[in-house]
Amino acid sequence: MIAITPATVLRRRSDVRYRRIEGEAVVLRQSAAEVLVLNEVGASVLDLADGERSVGEWIDTLREEYEGDSATLARDVLAFASELAEAGLLEPVAARNEP
Amino acid sequence: MSFGGGFLHHPDLFPARRAGEPWGDRAVALDVAGGPYLLSGLAATQEEALRHRFGALCGPAEGGGTVSQVFRAPAGDFRPIDTRGWEYTLDLDPTPDALRVAGLHLMARLSWTPALAGALWTPETAGEEWTPVCENYLRLLTAYRLLELRGALLHSAGVTDGEAAWLLLGRSGAGKTTASRLCLAGGGTVLSDDLNAVLFADGGAARLRKLPFTGDLGERAGGPESVPLRAVLRLAQGTEEGLRPLSPAAALASLVAAAPFVNRDPFRREALLAVLERLARAVPAWEVTFAREGRLWAILRSISIPRADP
Repeated sequence: MIAITPATVLRRRSDVRYRRIEGEAVVLRQSAAEVLVLNEVGASVLDLADGERSVGEWIDTLREEYEGDSATLARDVLAFASELAEAGLLEPVAARNEP
Repeated sequence: MSFGGGFLHHPDLFPARRAGEPWGDRAVALDVAGGPYLLSGLAATQEEALRHRFGALCGPAEGGGTVSQVFRAPAGDFRPIDTRGWEYTLDLDPTPDALRVAGLHLMARLSWTPALAGALWTPETAGEEWTPVCENYLRLLTAYRLLELRGALLHSAGVTDGEAAWLLLGRSGAGKTTASRLCLAGGGTVLSDDLNAVLFADGGAARLRKLPFTGDLGERAGGPESVPLRAVLRLAQGTEEGLRPLSPAAALASLVAAAPFVNRDPFRREALLAVLERLARAVPAWEVTFAREGRLWAILRSISIPRADP
């Protein structure tokens, strides 16, 4: 289990390929046979997982794009990041010190 | 297990080049989607078996095409395999400019120099053993050739009323053959219940091309050559028959999962995604729920022709 906090920095694994199509994303991994479809937020999370920005920065970016409750969005993004890491699509780069 | 170890005693001795001792001096050209495919170096028994299997699709090996040479391989190079209850999957080793393949009584190499060309090494010359070896090789070759032509080979059932075609997708056991039988009973024609080819016409419209690679149903030699593709359908079995629209992303995911061989090749995956994304955008996609004794054919034919964008 990978613990994801706002300070965690994640990147897409090198064998992950994805294609955005009408808001959703189709994701493939070389080392696994399955093909995943992610919704718009999931697709945005994949876009943001560049190994540079922290999960907290993703949340800030997504707040500007999506309406709705800010705390809910943060909780959803953390959960999503954790799921994608568990699925082997994202991997941690480094943990920054919490402010 | 490293590449080839499941099929070969000495995978480290896999042929490094498209070279070897041909079985004979016979050759055949196969007129299959993406072809012609020229097979040379055949023994007389191999040529006869191919002519028996593919019938009118076999022609004289003249002119251009995708070239493959067939070479001898000692039977002792291959591991004995108990195939009872066994699911056969070719072992692939892709690289940027070549693909090595190991399988039941076959080794093969595809290479891009830059044109696609192939080689097949096998110990088999007689019909019952040789034909499946060659057909498995041809399925693989066709998948890569179609991708080169910006098309795709799809594990699917293809059905048509002669004017439009429907592509039915689903994992093994999803009901492709059952669905094909329902369409056949309703008056449709089954192109194949196993593998079909999709290519884009000059005007950009997707067309379904018949292939001789059939399962239980399908016309190996007859039937229409190419039909406009009206819809892509993901199969679901149930009692509440009907259609549910699929998003282009969901359609793309189903198409990628249905693209054998090339969807396991990281060096051609971007090309595959591009082709299938084009298809997912061009052709409407639905999930169709059907019952075993139901009215699937009528449901498919109820799908209207999409209105062209102005």
